[in-house]
Amino acid sequence: MLRLTLAQMRRSLGRLVAAGVAILLGSAFVTATLTAGDVITRGGYDAMTATYGDADLVVLPTDGRLSTLLDATRGTPGVTAAEPLVVGWVSFASGRRTVGETVIPVPADPSLASLDVVEGRAPAAQDEVALPAASAERLGVGVGDTVRSTWTVWSEEPATTATPEPAEEPTEEPAEEPAAAGPVRSDDELAPQEMTADVTVVGLVDDPHAAWARYGGAGLAVLDSVVRWSGGTDIDDVGSAAVLVAVDGDSAAVRSALAQVLDDAEVLTRDEAAARAVESYGGGNVIVMVVLGFAAVAMLVAALVIANTFQVIVAQRTRMLALLRCVGARRRQLRGSVLLEAGILGVVSGVAGVVVGLALAQAALSVLSRTQNGVPLPTTVQPTLGNMLIPVLVATAVTVGAALVPARAATRVSPVAALRPAEAPTVQARPGRVRLASSLLLTVGGLVALAGGIVLARQGFGVDVMLPLAIGVLGGGTSFVGLLVGAPLWVPRIVSAVGRPVAAISTSARLAAANTLRNPRRTSATSTALVIGVTLVVMMSTGAVSAQASLAREMDERGPVDMTVFGMPGEAVGDGLAEGIAAVDGVDTVVPARYALVARPDGIETEAVVLDPADAGILRDEVAARALAEGRSVVPRSWAGDVTSVEVSVRDTALLEVRPSATDRALLTTQAADALAVDDVPSVLLVRIEPGADAMGVLQDVRDVVADDTVRVESAAAERQGDQRVIDVMLAIVIGLLGVAVVIALIGVANTLSLSVIERRRESATLRAVGLSRRGLRWMLATEGMLIAGVGALIGTALGLLYGWAGAATVFGTIGDVRLSVPWAHVGIVLLVALLAGLAASALPARAAARTPPVAALGVD
Amino acid sequence: MPTTDTRPHDRSATDGVATASRARALTKVYGSGAAAVRALDAVDVDFASGAFTAIMGPSGSGKSTLMHLLAGLDDATSGTAHLGSTEITTLDDDALTRLRRDRVGFVFQSFNLLPMLTAEQNIVLPLDLAGRRPDRAWFDTLVTTLGLQARLTHRPSELSGGQQQRVAIARALVAQPEVVFADEPTGNLDSRSGAEVLSFLRRSVRELGRTIIMVTHDPTAAAYADRVLLLADGRIAGDIADPTPESVLAGLEGLRVLEAPAGTPTGATPVVDATAGGLR
Repeated sequence: MLRLTLAQMRRSLGRLVAAGVAILLGSAFVTATLTAGDVITRGGYDAMTATYGDADLVVLPTDGRLSTLLDATRGTPGVTAAEPLVVGWVSFASGRRTVGETVIPVPADPSLASLDVVEGRAPAAQDEVALPAASAERLGVGVGDTVRSTWTVWSEEPATTATPEPAEEPTEEPAEEPAAAGPVRSDDELAPQEMTADVTVVGLVDDPHAAWARYGGAGLAVLDSVVRWSGGTDIDDVGSAAVLVAVDGDSAAVRSALAQVLDDAEVLTRDEAAARAVESYGGGNVIVMVVLGFAAVAMLVAALVIANTFQVIVAQRTRMLALLRCVGARRRQLRGSVLLEAGILGVVSGVAGVVVGLALAQAALSVLSRTQNGVPLPTTVQPTLGNMLIPVLVATAVTVGAALVPARAATRVSPVAALRPAEAPTVQARPGRVRLASSLLLTVGGLVALAGGIVLARQGFGVDVMLPLAIGVLGGGTSFVGLLVGAPLWVPRIVSAVGRPVAAISTSARLAAANTLRNPRRTSATSTALVIGVTLVVMMSTGAVSAQASLAREMDERGPVDMTVFGMPGEAVGDGLAEGIAAVDGVDTVVPARYALVARPDGIETEAVVLDPADAGILRDEVAARALAEGRSVVPRSWAGDVTSVEVSVRDTALLEVRPSATDRALLTTQAADALAVDDVPSVLLVRIEPGADAMGVLQDVRDVVADDTVRVESAAAERQGDQRVIDVMLAIVIGLLGVAVVIALIGVANTLSLSVIERRRESATLRAVGLSRRGLRWMLATEGMLIAGVGALIGTALGLLYGWAGAATVFGTIGDVRLSVPWAHVGIVLLVALLAGLAASALPARAAARTPPVAALGVD
Repeated sequence: MPTTDTRPHDRSATDGVATASRARALTKVYGSGAAAVRALDAVDVDFASGAFTAIMGPSGSGKSTLMHLLAGLDDATSGTAHLGSTEITTLDDDALTRLRRDRVGFVFQSFNLLPMLTAEQNIVLPLDLAGRRPDRAWFDTLVTTLGLQARLTHRPSELSGGQQQRVAIARALVAQPEVVFADEPTGNLDSRSGAEVLSFLRRSVRELGRTIIMVTHDPTAAAYADRVLLLADGRIAGDIADPTPESVLAGLEGLRVLEAPAGTPTGATPVVDATAGGLR
C-alpha cells in the first residue's frame, strides 16, 4: 500500500504542495513562537544569573533570619565572602523631577557585584547613593549633587522582629516589598508613613550584563540604606533576600558544608538559583502561551485547508479507488492509504515549517540584537529537540485529523463506481441533520450566553468583573464554533446572494458566480477558512475602537483639561509664559485660571481650579462644561458620592451647588470661588490642544518652554494618547499574529481555485473553443477568487463587528457607557485586501487554465 | 478582421461552388528530430459551402489533426488553412478566439456543456461571450427543429446524452457560423440517439443551409454526409461523393489492402474513386 500511496502522492504533487504550505506556515509559527519563548526565558535566565555577580553559591533562606544565615555562612570554612542581596526601592527627587529607583547594596567583595561603578565611587555612607546614568540624567544631577529620597514606612518601629513569614525569593517585584513586609503584622496602628532624607550622588553605575534591565536599572547604596528604604530597620526585616557566596576552592565541598550548617536555607549554585527564580516568575511563558493561542488559530485554518484539499483529492480519485476496491482492496486499506498520505504530508511540511520557523526566529534575533541595546539577547537560536519535535507532531496530528473525514469518504466509494462512465467527480456529502442540530444548538446556546454576559455586565454591581467576561468569551466561542460547523448550510446561500449582482456584470462574471455554486461545500469551506481569521481581526479592531471610544469619554471626564500648567501657589503665572505656551505648535487655547486647595467636609484637601463659564470651551468634558454654565461646580465623586450640594472651605466656608464627576480635581465656578474667598491670582494655565495634535509632543514642547520656570505641567491628553498608543500597539501585534491565519486561508483560496481549474480542464477548453478569450478565462477565475475571498471577508467582518461589540459591551459595560464603533478603516482594508488576495490567489490557477489549448475540449478524458 | 462576414466569398475555380474551408499543403509535425511524427503531410483539400462532409480514416490517419487546423484550434507546421477568405494559419490567439466565437461552431464527442448553465444558457453562450443578442427567430427555429422547447430550463445533468448533444448542436449553430466542426458527435451516444443527431446535422445542411465538417470513424455516420474524405498516414486517401455505408466500408477496406503489400511508399497517394465505390 505504501508504494501505491507514494505513487498517488506523486500524481497529486501540485495539490499537496499547496496544502503543505498551509501546514508549513502553521508549523513555522509554532516553532518560531516556542523558540522566541526560549529566547525570552534564556534572556531572563541570563539576566537573573547576572544579578548574582560572580557568586559561586547562592543561599536562599526558607525560614529564619538573614543575619544569622549570613554569620553562619561567613563562618563556614572555604567561604571567602558572603554578601546579602537585598532589593530596595526608593524614590529620588531633584527639584520637580522624580525617579523611582531600585537599589541594591554595595558588596564588600567586588566579585559579588553585578553593577560597575563607572564614574565617581561606590557609596560608603548612609547618605550616599550611586545612580544609573539614565536616572541621573532624568533627574538632571551629576556626581556630587544632592537628591531627596522618599520611602514609605509602615509602622512605629516594632521592637522585636518575630517574623514568622518565610522570606521570599529575590524575584519578587521590588515595589511590593514594603507592602509585603508590613501588613502581615496585623497591628491596628499600621499606617503608611512617608519618610524623606537627602542623599548625595557619589557615583554613576553601569549594568554591563543588563542584570537589572527588568527593573528599569538599579542603583547602589550601602546595605543599611537599602534596608531602610525597604521600610525596615535591620536586615531581618527585609522580605526577600539572598546571600551571595564566593568560595575559595571546591565549591561542591563548601556547598555540602553549608547545607549542613544552614538548616533553614537552601544552598544552590548560581545557575540553579537563576533557573529557580526564572521558573517562579515565568513572565515569558504567559506571552508564549498567548502567542501559541494565535498559532492554534492558524493551525485550525490550516486544518480546514487540508480537509478541503483531501476531499477534492479523494473525489478526483473516485474511479481509481473504486478500481482498487474491484481488485480486492479492503475499506481499511483505502482509509489507511489516505491517512498515510496525510501523515507523510504532515511530517514533511512540519519539518519544513520547523526549518522556516527557526530561520525566521534567527532573522528576527539578528535584527533585534543589532537594533536593541541594553537587552541581552543571544545571537543565535538554540533549537531544542522539544521545540523541533512539537511543531512536527502538531502539524502531523492536524493534517491526519483533517484528513479523517475525507478518508472515510474514500471508504464509501463502491467498487461499481469503476464501471461507470467518468463524470465530473463529486463527493456528495449532504449536510446532515446532525450538523444542523449541533450547529443550531451551539450557535443559539452560545449567543444566549453571550447576551447573558452583556446583561450581567450591564447590571454590573455586586458581580465580579471577570464573571460576565468569562461567560461572554465562552458564549462567543461556542456560538462561533456553531456557526463554523453550520457553515456548509448557510455560507452557500450568502455566496449565491452576493453572486447574483456580480453575475450581471458580464458573461465571465456570470460563469464565475455559477462556478462558485457548483461545489457549495468546497466554496463554503474555503470561505470559512478566511472567515476565521477575518472575524478575529475585525473583532479585535472593533473591540479596540470601541474601547478607545468608551475610554475616551471616561478619560474626558477624568481629565477634562488637556493640559494644566501649575505655577507657584499664590503667585500669578507670568504673561510671557502664557504667550510662550500659546505659541507652541499644536496648542489651541491657553486660559489663565485661579487655583485653590479646597477642604472638603472631612477635612481632606484637594486641588481645585476656578473656571469662568465663558472659558468652559477649554474643557473636553461637555457634561462638566454644561454644569459650569448652569452655575454648578464640578467636584470629584469621591468626595461624597452623587450629591447636588456640598459644603467646602478654602478661606471661607460655603455650600456649593455641585455636579459630581470622575475627575480628581474640582472645577469651581467664579461665584463659588468668590464665596470661598479663593485668591484672585491666576496661578494656573489651562491649555487646550488642537484636535489631532501629538499630545505627547506638545507636552514635551511646553515643558521645554517652561523649563526655566518653577512650574509643574500635567497633560491628561498625553496620558490619553499614551493609553491609545498602548491599545494601538497591542492591536497591531494581535492583527499581525492573526495575519498568519489569514495568509493560510488565502493559500486555501488559491488551492481551491487551482483544484477547480484542474477539474474543469475540458470545460475551460470548451469555453475557449466557443469563443472565450484567454483574458476572459482569466477574468472568470479572478472573479471566482474574489467572490470566494470577498464573501469570506464579508461574513468575517459582520461576525467580527458583532463579536467585537459584544466584547466591548461586556468589558466596558461594568465601567460605564459603551460606545459601539465601527473601525471603518480596518473594515475597508480587510475587504480590499480580501479582494486583492482573491485576485492574486487566482493568478497562478488562471494562468494554468488559460494555457489549456482549446483542442483539449475534443479529447476524450 | 471582419466579424460580420458570414458568407464565404472565395469561389473555387473548379466547380463554381463557394468554398467554406480550404487547406493548401497543410502540414503538421509533432515532435522533432528522430521522434518527429508527420500527422498531416501537405494536404490540399476544399470543403464546399452548404455541404456536409465527413472525414474518415483509421486511428492516427490525421483526421482529427486536419480538423483542428481547419478550425484554428491548433497551429500548422507549414501550409495554409482558410476559413472563407480568411487565412487562419497566421492569426494570433485573440483573432482566433474571435473567429471561433463568430464564424465557427463546434460539436464535441463528450458534448462539453457547462454543467452550471441551463440548456438555454448553454445554447446562447457563444453570443453572450461575443456580447451579441441572439436572433430570436433563428433561436426558435433551432430549438423547435431540435425538439428542445421543453428542455430549455434544464441543466445538462437532467438531460439524456442525445438531448445534451442536441443542445450542443444548437450551441454550435446559434451564431450562424460559416462552418460547424463536429468531432465524433455520435461517439458517446446509443445508435438511436446517434441517428437522431446525424439526421439533424443533415437537415441543418439541407434545410438551414449550414456547412458541416464531421470527423468520424463510424461508416454509418459517415453515410449521412454528402461527401466522405478518407485519410491515411496524413494524406488524402480517397474521396467518396454521396456515400452509402457500403461504399464507405469498401473505401476503408481499400485503404487496408493498399497498405498491406507495398509498405506504403511516401510518394504515391492512392485515390479511391468515389462513384465506383471501390478501388480504381
